Amino acid sequence: MTAIELRGVTKEFADVTAVRGLDLTVEEGEVYGFLGPNGAGKSTTIDMVLDLVRPTEGTVRVLGQEATADGVAIRRRTGVLPDGFAVYDRLTGRQHVEFAVRSKEADDDPDALLDRVGLLDDADRKAGGYSKGMRQRLALAMALAGDPELLILDEPSSGLDPAGAKEMREIVRAEADRGATVFFSSHILEQVEAVCDRVGILRAGELVAEDSVEGLREAVGGEETLEIAVGGDGGASDAAVDAVRDLDGVSRVDRDGDALVVSCADGAKTRVIGALEDAGVAVADFHTREASLEDLFLAYTEGDAPSESEEEGGTTEAGETTDATDVDSTNADADTNDDPTDTDAADAEEVSR
Amino acid sequence: MSLPAIAEKDFQDTVRSRGMLILVALFSLLVAVFAYVLTPPGEQFATEFLLSRVVGPFLVTTLVPLVGVVVGYNAVSGERESGSLKLLLSLPHSRADVVFGKVAGRGAALSLAVFAGFLLPALVLLALSQLGYIEAFNAGSYLGYTVFAAVLGVVFVAIAVGCSAAARTQRQALIGGIAIFVLFVVLWSFVTGRLLGAASGLIDPLPVSQQQVSVFLQVANPITGVELLSSAFLGDQLLSGETVNRQISAVSMLVFWTIAPPLAGLWKFDTDDL
Repeated sequence: MTAIELRGVTKEFADVTAVRGLDLTVEEGEVYGFLGPNGAGKSTTIDMVLDLVRPTEGTVRVLGQEATADGVAIRRRTGVLPDGFAVYDRLTGRQHVEFAVRSKEADDDPDALLDRVGLLDDADRKAGGYSKGMRQRLALAMALAGDPELLILDEPSSGLDPAGAKEMREIVRAEADRGATVFFSSHILEQVEAVCDRVGILRAGELVAEDSVEGLREAVGGEETLEIAVGGDGGASDAAVDAVRDLDGVSRVDRDGDALVVSCADGAKTRVIGALEDAGVAVADFHTREASLEDLFLAYTEGDAPSESEEEGGTTEAGETTDATDVDSTNADADTNDDPTDTDAADAEEVSR
Repeated sequence: MSLPAIAEKDFQDTVRSRGMLILVALFSLLVAVFAYVLTPPGEQFATEFLLSRVVGPFLVTTLVPLVGVVVGYNAVSGERESGSLKLLLSLPHSRADVVFGKVAGRGAALSLAVFAGFLLPALVLLALSQLGYIEAFNAGSYLGYTVFAAVLGVVFVAIAVGCSAAARTQRQALIGGIAIFVLFVVLWSFVTGRLLGAASGLIDPLPVSQQQVSVFLQVANPITGVELLSSAFLGDQLLSGETVNRQISAVSMLVFWTIAPPLAGLWKFDTDDL
């Protein structure tokens, strides 16, 4: 059975067509990342899945039932973390969760749910005094009530700090391990990469790509960036830099202090290092950066991406590295800069399934 | 059936609002003031007189409808505007459960306020009569009258919730709420009189007189209906006596106003994109 199935779905509002002829299938048990810039139609799509908004055309089926006709039955089996929601200011966190448990006719212990999202200590405070991140945790606890077969998370990490975002991903993974299907929307690619089996990218109401993250990266033609720390004084000589620049597959070389930053095709790494060593430059250390996920995302959402990709699934050599023994090559390290999502990327490997 | 869950949550939410406290205090204060002003020392105190001549016209027929509208008008539109409706409809609730759950929850909260507000002064009156400062205080009449006041409040909550469900924005709901209050409290006889005049051609061939229709339209206003029923109750003639037919009309119209406006609001709300 498919968890979510949209067929030819179009939604026109008075002044705008939010979703256009969308076909989308989420299989049972998978973690599906639904990506797109703000305004791409992600929330409208999710609202149609939840029967908050009715499609102008097409059909939406969720867990084998018709979204518009069987909304209540569907939502009894679904946990939802909506986007842009508000809490009941005068009710406590625990009252919120109790309400969710009761509404779903489940028998969860509200305190256990609150504990799971790290909110137990604040359970007796009124939710009106919660921070954005706490509200997000509260809604997640409500979504988890009743062990839903399908979890729909609309921008789940918004308002969460990196630690919170990490906990969110751990919960998503635990739910997936339990057998739940997870449908997860975000405009931040890193968030999705870390947990999703498959990713769909929505642009202007249309699905422009659907694949594993590796597959998408391949399709865009993964350029890599090498950061090379050069030993000795004065860095690399001009001759050495020119030699590297002339290599096949190298698109640019920049100096960054004593280090070199080289953009090159996937297979050119070893040649770059070799050329430097031939030119008498001592390579002290180097890092590989894959095509920035942000770049990849922008490529799809701003237009200059390849048409929907031909290759199937992720057989990229994510684990492949140069065999230089004295180099520290960190592969999936997408953020060597002081990005606050640093910790996220670090456990990306651990989390991705 | 998740209506009770919504009703309970909404009740909890409403009774915790600061407005509820103010309401109870206001009712208590006004009833106490009226009771005090109307029982000059030495004169006879009559519970029925206090209720039907003073508390009725001043408190119940204007203040209770106003409070009902205030409690109800933002029930659905407020949640829609703030976004908590998304949280609510993420759970397995139908939109019908939401609308009728709100009527039940807020109706209960308003009833609680009316009871608390009326009963606090009643305790004082009871104590005074026990101590011999005033003539016997008729607790039964007083309590019964309070029920009628609460019923009227619930009817106005239902009308206002229906309006709230139909409204797209808080602003529309507010305008609707004001219109409801003005129509029923101020303009009813004017509007129905005009309607009757305009429709006289239609009524003539029917086997009812203009007079009968006019009387029916009067008791069709829930305020008039409750006044009629409560004064019959105080006169010990509830659903009996010469006004029995009008009383039955009044009861059925109260039921109508409790159910029809939420249904009409739901009809619109159910087809809306949220």
